Amino acid sequence: MTSWQIVVLVVAVYLVANLVIGLLPASRSTDTVAGYVAGDREFGTLVMYFVTGASVFSAFAFLGGPGWAFSRGAAAFYILGYGVLGMAPYFALGPWAARLGRKHGYVTQGAMLAHRFQNRWVGFTAGIISVIAIIPYVALQMRGAGIVLEQVTDGHVPLPLGAALTYGIVLIYVWRSGVMGIGWTNVFQGVLMIGIAWAFGLYIPYKLYGGIGPMFEQIAAAQPAMLTAPGLDAAGNPWTPVAYSSAVLVSSIGLMMWPHLFMKAFAAKDDATIRRTIMLFPTFQLFLLPLFLVGFAGILYSSSPVDPDAIMPHIMLTVGLPPIVVGIFCAGALAASMSTGDALVHGAASIAVTDVYSATRGDALSQHDQRRLIRWLAVAVGVVAYALALPSGLSLVGMLLGAYGAIVQLAPPVYAAFLWRRATATGVIAGLLVGISTVGLLILRPEWKPFGLHEGLVGLAANIITLAVVSMASRPPARDHVSDWMATSRNEG
Amino acid sequence: MKRSAVWFAAVYFATMAVAITFPGIRPFNTIQPYIFGIPFVFAWVLAWVGGSLVVFLFLYRAYHK
Repeated sequence: MTSWQIVVLVVAVYLVANLVIGLLPASRSTDTVAGYVAGDREFGTLVMYFVTGASVFSAFAFLGGPGWAFSRGAAAFYILGYGVLGMAPYFALGPWAARLGRKHGYVTQGAMLAHRFQNRWVGFTAGIISVIAIIPYVALQMRGAGIVLEQVTDGHVPLPLGAALTYGIVLIYVWRSGVMGIGWTNVFQGVLMIGIAWAFGLYIPYKLYGGIGPMFEQIAAAQPAMLTAPGLDAAGNPWTPVAYSSAVLVSSIGLMMWPHLFMKAFAAKDDATIRRTIMLFPTFQLFLLPLFLVGFAGILYSSSPVDPDAIMPHIMLTVGLPPIVVGIFCAGALAASMSTGDALVHGAASIAVTDVYSATRGDALSQHDQRRLIRWLAVAVGVVAYALALPSGLSLVGMLLGAYGAIVQLAPPVYAAFLWRRATATGVIAGLLVGISTVGLLILRPEWKPFGLHEGLVGLAANIITLAVVSMASRPPARDHVSDWMATSRNEG
Repeated sequence: MKRSAVWFAAVYFATMAVAITFPGIRPFNTIQPYIFGIPFVFAWVLAWVGGSLVVFLFLYRAYHK
């Protein structure tokens, strides 16, 4: 057997294992929307820990993290910084949302907002923004999987085939098992990602430089600018402190607003499970350390890849590792991609049905029919994302940056729902539309960004001001409903 | 107990947000001294992430036995 065939064999074993683990829990949830989307609200700590960690860290972290450390140095520290900052507010928000979900039956953020503001168009607007933001994110995950497979097999498994294979398997287990399949595969994928990151991250600096210390001393002597914040920008010039700091802020505020993450509060068994998951999250987050070490090891490496995000597979392939180890590394990269991609596909489809479709059609569909529609839409999301993933001319990373700017706009409505009684539906919708338009405008006209701030942050300011002003100008919401709603969220059980 | 734990966590994360962005990061933005071979500012950000584990543990204990 040639080496690429051994790699393919290892990857095939990994993919079959995923399929088996993903299909096993198919019969363990009820034939309802809550069963398919929220696992009947029965997730324990083990599954929640890995779903959260593995969904947060995608192929973008596993390949892009080392890519940033390699090409932009200390700029990568922003990725390390925002994770726990973004997770911290969820210690309060998660249980609040979960209690309301148990009482009122929500499975999505949009349904929660629509009920709080007594207006289905709030859910509709939040739903549309979510679905549009999620699709390029899925495409990026597919492309990541395809690129890794193409590289490690020397082009024998081309990108379109690799992406179709891995995501074909994702769609099968999402179709059959819904969130239960995502939960248990993410445990497997999460263990693989963390284990492989630590193993390679500690081995590569040792193998190439004789240790972590000697590696950094050599980089400090050759390229000191790489080792202090804010590092470099994509073009290799010094990054600005404002851009670095606003990237940390936008990502922190936006992180838990991603619907596929936020809605996992509705899957948790109880409050303690959510809080335990957040408590343990930093242990997952620290796996960025070994990933960055591999990236830093690439700075003074004898050769470099065309695309900086390929630094990790590039080192794996050229450092003289046996093919079986390259295969295991590849499985880790695929795990990072699939564990985020599955939650995204499932989240987008769930939102499209419960928030967008139901807002226009009312609740005419039975639970069984809604569940079936979510399945078909998951396939549709997969197909659209696949079509976006193939052409190399499209800038997916650019689309993803725009997506983060869009998702962070959900923060004012979510916080207003829990913290400001006077917020109204009109205010929330106006804020969302103004926020999104501002982000869109600044993406088209980056030279209009004040002080080089992240467009998401500017949109956020416009969004908050609009929400506040329009809410004050519109009729106050029904006092009893808001009081009830707030009381339910704060009821420590 | 709960109230003080929440305040402590809020102060920790607010301080962290300042300490790992500009201008708060500036005094710590150096390569030396190395901490276990890692440049100082890298170790600085890592320490804030590691510290959050302790803060979350404290917060969790305030809510659940």
